[in-house]
Amino acid sequence: MSISEEIKELVILRLETLPSDKKISIGSYGEFSKEELIEHVKKEDSIGKKMIEVEMEFLKAFREGIIL
Amino acid sequence: MSIFLITRPEHDDTTHYLSSWCKETIETAQERGIKVIDLNRERANKSEVESVISKVSPNFIVFNGHGSNNTVTGHNNKPIITAGENEELLKSKTVYAISCKSAKILGPKSIEAGAISYTGYDDDFIFLYEPEKISRPLQDETAKLFFEPSKLFITSLIKGSSVFESRKKTESLIRSTIIKMLGSNSDANIVKFLWWDLKHFVSHGDLEATI
Repeated sequence: MSISEEIKELVILRLETLPSDKKISIGSYGEFSKEELIEHVKKEDSIGKKMIEVEMEFLKAFREGIIL
Repeated sequence: MSIFLITRPEHDDTTHYLSSWCKETIETAQERGIKVIDLNRERANKSEVESVISKVSPNFIVFNGHGSNNTVTGHNNKPIITAGENEELLKSKTVYAISCKSAKILGPKSIEAGAISYTGYDDDFIFLYEPEKISRPLQDETAKLFFEPSKLFITSLIKGSSVFESRKKTESLIRSTIIKMLGSNSDANIVKFLWWDLKHFVSHGDLEATI
C-alpha cells in the first residue's frame, strides 16, 4: 500500500528535528544518521516504512493519551 | 545457587553498546553470590551456549545481540537459539533477550518447550547513541536513556524481584524518562523511540517467577 505524501512529509519533518550528532540503531537493519533515515523514508523502503510506523504509532498513542 | 549465563557479542556498534551496558549487571550478580558465565565476543556462539547449558544448567539467561521473530544471535549474527530447532535448551530457565523481535515467536515457543519465562521485544529494539562516545559507551547520556531500563530489569531479577515486579520497575523508569524528555526542547523528539521499546517490551510464561 502506498503511503500518502502528507504522512511522508510529516515523518521527514519530525526526523529533521532529531539532533545531528546522534545515530539511531534499528536492530538488524543497522545504524543510521537522521539524514540516512530521511532518504529511506523518501524511498519508502523497509527502513523508511519502519520509521513511518514508529512515528505514526507514537502520534496515535499521544493523541489517545496512552503514552503516560 | 543461581547461575547466570550472559552472551555479549561485540561485532558492530549495536552489539558493542549492548555488551557494555550489560557489564555492570555481571558485577551486581557476582556481589550477590550468583555464579556468572560470561560468553563475550567470539565465545557468544551456539556451541558455547549449548555446552554451558548442558554442563551447569544456568537458571537465568540474558541474550544480547541481534535477532528475528524466530532467533537470537551471537557474535557475527550467527544464530544461538532458533525456534523449531533448539528452543528446548531454554527449559526451566528465566530468559531475557535484548534482541529484536525474538519475543514474537521464539518467546512463546520456548515457553511451550518448558522455559519458565521469556522476556524480550516483539519488534525491533531501537536506541539512539552519540558516535563520538563509541569508545566510552557508558558515558553516552543518550544511550543511557535506552539501556538503564534494560539494566534495571536484569538487576531487579538478580536482587530477587519477580519477572512481573521487574517489569513494573522497568516500565516505571521508562515512563518517568518519557515525562522528563517531553518537557525538554532538545530531547522531546527522541521520546517516540523510547515509547516504541516500551510498547514492544513483552514477557511470556510465569511472571511471578524469580531467579
